Amino acid sequence: MTAAVEARDLRRTFTTRSGALRRTRKEVEAVKGVSFEIAPGELFGLLGPNGAGKTTTIKMLITLLIPSSGSAHVLGHDVVTDLREVRRRIGYVFGGDRGLYERLSGLDNLRYFSELYGVAPREQKKRIGELLELVGLTGREGERVEGYSRGMRQRLHIARGLLHDPDVFFLDEPSIGIDPVGARELRATIAGLRDQGKTVLLTTHYMFEADELCDRIAVIRSGEIVAEGTPTQLKGLVSAGRVLEVETYGISDDAVEAVRGIGGVRTVVVEDRGQVQVLVVSCESGAEVTQPALARLDGTRVGRVSHRDPTLEDAYVELVTR
Amino acid sequence: MTSTRIFFVGGLMSYRALFGWMNPWIFIPSLLVSPVCQILLFAYIGRSAGVGDDEFYVIGNALNYAAIPCMFAMTFTIGGERFAQTLGLVLATPARRIPLFLGRSLPVILNGWFVAMFGVVVGSLLLDAHIPGSAWPLIALVVAVGSLASTGLGLVMGALNLVYRDGATMGNVLFLVLLIFTGTNVALDDLPGWMAAIGRCLPLSHAIEATRMLGDGATWGAVQGLVGTEALIGLAYVAVGLATIRLFEHLSRAGATLDQI
Repeated sequence: MTAAVEARDLRRTFTTRSGALRRTRKEVEAVKGVSFEIAPGELFGLLGPNGAGKTTTIKMLITLLIPSSGSAHVLGHDVVTDLREVRRRIGYVFGGDRGLYERLSGLDNLRYFSELYGVAPREQKKRIGELLELVGLTGREGERVEGYSRGMRQRLHIARGLLHDPDVFFLDEPSIGIDPVGARELRATIAGLRDQGKTVLLTTHYMFEADELCDRIAVIRSGEIVAEGTPTQLKGLVSAGRVLEVETYGISDDAVEAVRGIGGVRTVVVEDRGQVQVLVVSCESGAEVTQPALARLDGTRVGRVSHRDPTLEDAYVELVTR
Repeated sequence: MTSTRIFFVGGLMSYRALFGWMNPWIFIPSLLVSPVCQILLFAYIGRSAGVGDDEFYVIGNALNYAAIPCMFAMTFTIGGERFAQTLGLVLATPARRIPLFLGRSLPVILNGWFVAMFGVVVGSLLLDAHIPGSAWPLIALVVAVGSLASTGLGLVMGALNLVYRDGATMGNVLFLVLLIFTGTNVALDDLPGWMAAIGRCLPLSHAIEATRMLGDGATWGAVQGLVGTEALIGLAYVAVGLATIRLFEHLSRAGATLDQI
């Protein structure tokens, strides 16, 4: 069976220039040989920190960027040479406020892109109506987009991406900046796409979102895929261990480094939660790190200390901070 | 059918999308009052210097001002989309580029034609310049051809925005170039040879000359060569614009320029 999306050793280098008279040229390799396959009907997650190469990878797959080397195919069509065939079959949505015509109504935004995607005039009204219903914008479609909330904009983006009923859907951080209720509705919409048999490539920073939605996940770090598997398989990468969480107040970098040096500690991350900094210590199975860690926090005000099983987020943190 | 709809329906919707901010409070002062001011300025300079007549300046400056909506609006149809980050989404669609971008030019040409005609009519009334009633239909046609030619130049400038984010600033320079080189206030024959030669390759030069002749009572037969040349120049700029869009769209994919706003 032909893969819905296939990337083979994709690479992309950016050249930046600075200076007016003495031009200096700098090359940055954003994607360094990424390979993966997505089966038809699969919801595939691409996770990674900012600047890891997620968006660059997606832009190559949706034909907006030409790879420096390597190849990619969508439903068997080359993303460099079969541009129109690829574009006919894909939908693309990115997160954030922009990318919509602010002065047009939501309905007119959808009508315009229907024209660009060649949706037959007699089908447009029905299709747009269905999509407005799907994303929960029925009744608000006549309002100008400039008055939409971020969540409404994001849902309009999804409807726009689905106008031509694409087989493959690329979602680049669609839930960024959306409130919890909006994000939950968005996740339900994305899950609905999978139920309809659409192939989806989703990038997100939210691990619970990836855990809930994705059939398979690839973790990308500094332009390279460092792990790939089902959420359960990825969790298994750290499941042999435990996670120690220590609430601290005003922890210093030296104390964090000291904890990092304890035998059996895999990763140490500090999460800011308001006034509290939570020290998240991922450790190997059987390693007793609680007492040594507390000893190294001598002089730091410590709150609650707890243990828990690893989550997908722990696996992600470990993978991207190795 | 799809390309036809993209040309007409898509072109109009895109114009509404990108120029929804153009309300009467912006349109009237910037596109109706300003050209009349320019006409009056040069007409009174001409009067005080004792050169040219009012009709010469009315027609020259009214047509010259068509370049503002034609060049800038056409540039904005690409540059503005880039800034709003909708351009990437538009380019990621399978829509054919020729109807996509040419469709955007139709409302722009109409806008330029209206601005220039308004200038000719109001300028003539204010300065009491006499243009024969029988000349107006042909003047309207020639102004439309001039607007098309200016829009072609705007398309070239718009294409630059696919790669250069500050391409629109060139419009200010080009407007001045047109003001000087197209015979707007100094007839091409009175310009140095090299300037006249450049002017004859620019949009509006032949349209301005033809309109002046019509204003002086010339027949269609006397101006059709000029109008045909203006149309050819306009079509050449459109062709260059479309070719540039094709080339620069490829360069934007190779150089990731659309990510810079």
